[in-house]
Amino acid sequence: MKINNSLPLEYSTEENRLKILGFWIFLGAEIMLFATLFAAYFTLENRIGNGPSGAEIFEITPVLVETILLLTSSFVIGLGIHAMRLGNKKAMMIFFSITLLLGAGFLGFEIYEFVHYIHIGATLQTSAFTAALLTTLGTHGLHVTLGLFWGLFILIQIKKRGLTPETANKSFIFSLYWHFLDIIWIFIFSFIYLKGMM
Amino acid sequence: MMKELFPLKQVMGFVFSIVLTAVALIVYFTDMSFAVGMTILLVTAFIQAGLQVVVFMHSGETDDKKSIYTNIYYGLVIALITIFGTLLTLVWDM
Repeated sequence: MKINNSLPLEYSTEENRLKILGFWIFLGAEIMLFATLFAAYFTLENRIGNGPSGAEIFEITPVLVETILLLTSSFVIGLGIHAMRLGNKKAMMIFFSITLLLGAGFLGFEIYEFVHYIHIGATLQTSAFTAALLTTLGTHGLHVTLGLFWGLFILIQIKKRGLTPETANKSFIFSLYWHFLDIIWIFIFSFIYLKGMM
Repeated sequence: MMKELFPLKQVMGFVFSIVLTAVALIVYFTDMSFAVGMTILLVTAFIQAGLQVVVFMHSGETDDKKSIYTNIYYGLVIALITIFGTLLTLVWDM
């Protein structure tokens, strides 16, 4: 394995560099996945049948809390990668742990939101609008859930093996995934919630 | 020591993201036409997305920069064609 010390650890081998590029290509496919969900949502958002409309069920406070939690977690994992590049394992692990806690907080609010929707009679079966809404939010929420476990396993590996070209590469790729989830949330926040409450 | 862990570029990126979120909230707290509101949301959302990619995802820092941006733009073009193609045929009745 040829290690180039002039580059950050996560880029230090050819294999690492290709893995990062490969993950960017995966994110390109994820953009298209969410595009199909948004396309379906925009098509169906006014087909509310006998159910409630977006303006009737959206609440600004939980949505804003979710937004701040995810935005902050995205910033904190950025600090984690910065600490990793400085070779500061302890700071990196603290930042990654805070990221996951904020992510768990986000997920808690989203679960509360889903329970609330079902409680007030906005379920997957209520109308085309609620089906498209819950599918879009749910797909994002599942990504966050997966990310929590992924991040946890990476933390365990860093603790066991330390910062190596391999673990640094995995951590960087996870950070790309986490930032991507925040990007998708920005669009959900803007074009589902705020547009719906305008 | 602490300062070293909080690079100015990323702190500014975070502050700017919060500001953009606050600007987007104007559409909720004030009365405005649909067109003006959507314009504000499109501008704030896309700037914030770009900020994440460039500042936090380090998209332009290696020799793969060209491939990474080509890939993002490709994904984005397909996304926009999917969304606006759907709206054109199914919602706007054109």
